Amino acid sequence: MLRVAIVGCGKIADQHAEQIAYIPGCTIVGVCDREELMAKQLQERVNAPMYCSSVEDLLEKAKPDVVHITTPPQGHYLLGKFFLEAGCHVYIEKPFTVTLAEAEELIWLAEHKNLKLTAGHNASFSHAANRMRALVAEGYLGGPPVHLESYYCYELGDAGYAKPLLADRGHWVRSLPGGLLQNNISHGISKIAEFLNNDDRLEVVARGFTSSFLKSLGETEIVDELRVIVNDGNTTAYFTFSSQMRPSLHQLRLYGPKNGLIVDEEKQTVIKLRGARYKSYLEQFVPPWSFAKQYIANSLGNMRKFLRSDFQAGYGMRTLMRRFYRSIADGEPVPIPYKEILRTANIMEQIFSQLNSAQNSMAEGQTKAQLAHQE
Amino acid sequence: MKENNRIIDRNELILITGSNGFIGTRVVDALLRSGFSNLRCLVRPSGNLADLQAVLDAAPGARVEIMPGNLLSREDCANAVKGVAVILHLAAGIEKTFPGSFMNSVVATRNLLDAVVDGGSLRRFVNVSSFAVYSNWNLRSGALLDEECETESRPVERAEPYAFAKLKQDQLVIEYSQKFGIPYVILRPGAVYGPRARQLTGRVGIDTFGIFLHLGGSNQIPLTYVDNCAQAIVLAGITSGVDGEVFNVVDDNLPSSRKFLRMYKKHGKSFRSIYVPYWLFYCLSWIWENYSKRSKGQLPPVFNRRRCAIYWKGNKYSNNKLKERVGWRPAVPFAEASKRYFEFVRRAG
Repeated sequence: MLRVAIVGCGKIADQHAEQIAYIPGCTIVGVCDREELMAKQLQERVNAPMYCSSVEDLLEKAKPDVVHITTPPQGHYLLGKFFLEAGCHVYIEKPFTVTLAEAEELIWLAEHKNLKLTAGHNASFSHAANRMRALVAEGYLGGPPVHLESYYCYELGDAGYAKPLLADRGHWVRSLPGGLLQNNISHGISKIAEFLNNDDRLEVVARGFTSSFLKSLGETEIVDELRVIVNDGNTTAYFTFSSQMRPSLHQLRLYGPKNGLIVDEEKQTVIKLRGARYKSYLEQFVPPWSFAKQYIANSLGNMRKFLRSDFQAGYGMRTLMRRFYRSIADGEPVPIPYKEILRTANIMEQIFSQLNSAQNSMAEGQTKAQLAHQE
Repeated sequence: MKENNRIIDRNELILITGSNGFIGTRVVDALLRSGFSNLRCLVRPSGNLADLQAVLDAAPGARVEIMPGNLLSREDCANAVKGVAVILHLAAGIEKTFPGSFMNSVVATRNLLDAVVDGGSLRRFVNVSSFAVYSNWNLRSGALLDEECETESRPVERAEPYAFAKLKQDQLVIEYSQKFGIPYVILRPGAVYGPRARQLTGRVGIDTFGIFLHLGGSNQIPLTYVDNCAQAIVLAGITSGVDGEVFNVVDDNLPSSRKFLRMYKKHGKSFRSIYVPYWLFYCLSWIWENYSKRSKGQLPPVFNRRRCAIYWKGNKYSNNKLKERVGWRPAVPFAEASKRYFEFVRRAG
């Protein structure tokens, strides 16, 4: 029986605890939060044997094999390091770390100590993502992707998250180098990172801005619109993060040398895009039928899974956890290759660095303009 | 109320948390109307202050400090309680998640209570709780649900973060009173309604499935008009001899769910509804609850028997204790209260 502990008892910890409870062969042995009341409320609800407010106590009393770190990202590196050094396998919520250097160090430490480590990129393990991966492995694209488009949108109208963030100038999300983006884009970026392989030639061009919606609320610091181009010499990718566009997409589009795929995380659909064209007007008559057939098949497939009770909202997280635990217990490969975790961290770091430089230049320009005006 | 029945003078400082909220604004208004002119209104830094400001504008002579602050900040709490004689704690965490609700209700309350312990001279902490903390699991339909009734013993099964957090908040206040001698009163309003509350109380029914399911039937609805509720909170804060007491707040002449829904549709906003009898919804809740477990959480257990019972089984409610011990009377009768409410609903569209 794998002994699992949770550090950080906020909202995402609830999802972890729920999924762990459904995975055979593991049990929650303790929960920990710097705020003891938070630890206590989770312990009470998940019926864990102990709760505490110090990680030392957790190690000593709960003796976990695996630790899930579900704190705000600023704590991921130090906590990850602490538990790896103590000999625990570690599952770290997204974003994996605040910087690339921290990610590199944790992965080095895990490999050095022969421990397993994973990042909470659970959107990559949904039913649709798994079907897409199987099609790619079968060679449906006709080779490695030529181009990818990843959309990861976020509706700021969600009061549960946006309200406290907008209300609180000291909110932890604001103190991340990438702000709101850093806490939200990992899923979308990791989907791109999965299909890149030439890290030495990785180029990232990022542009970000504050939406007019946020500006109308008096918000000037939070960047909630992001457009990115990524190129590794073999594959290019566009990444879009938007709080304003509708529909609010969570999509990955893959275009290979032969065919393409559209993976929709919201609707859990995978649509094949045939590369070859039909002759003459048939191109306008046949493909729409083919799309209709595919959507019906996707819908029926989703219903079948629902009827089999295999369609939970947390399916991706559960699958990732199950595979991570198997990698620990049975020595299988980790569910997310470390190079993908590092590539995701690398792309994100480049994005935030460019956005921060742009913001600094703009601020510098404004200061110069003001000085010139005063003179 | 006689002056000697009060624990504070009119010029002593009263802190109101959540003071720009639906009930908080009316509490400030009730305090000012009762002659309490030394108020500190704690508001969220980004909170909408328009309604509160309108209330303050009507009382230009009052000494009212609007203090932006976050109860999750111990420093803000320490500043907020400085020199305060009474705290009317209305701020609540109404969130969909257990941790979110808990943090903004229980952790926030703990910070405030710690600041009180450090600060010293508080004479009353009024904890505004909710009817949601009760359980009627062991009560028959139609039985009286009053302050003596048990609170929910299985709040997690209810799958209701707000009820869980409010229950824990009440327990925390009692614990602090026992440990540190903080004098408290717990107030549990029923379904508070009035202008600014657009939604029909869930005790009448729900529209989760795209059409309004009327679940309340002939049940009495534990309504309290926002001004009446505000007056109860004020009296609970200033009346002597009620430390450690719990009071339910419901108005007189409570209407049935059916009557209230009919009035809402006629005078407020019209919409289609389907009546679902309690026994049927109880069975559906039981099926949902079991399916949720069997399907390993494919559907969240938001409909379950305990929740169904507390909201729609149907009980009788009493405000006798509140009337007898603090001398409260619902100043706005149901006819007038409902008229004001429906007018707001109609205008809001």
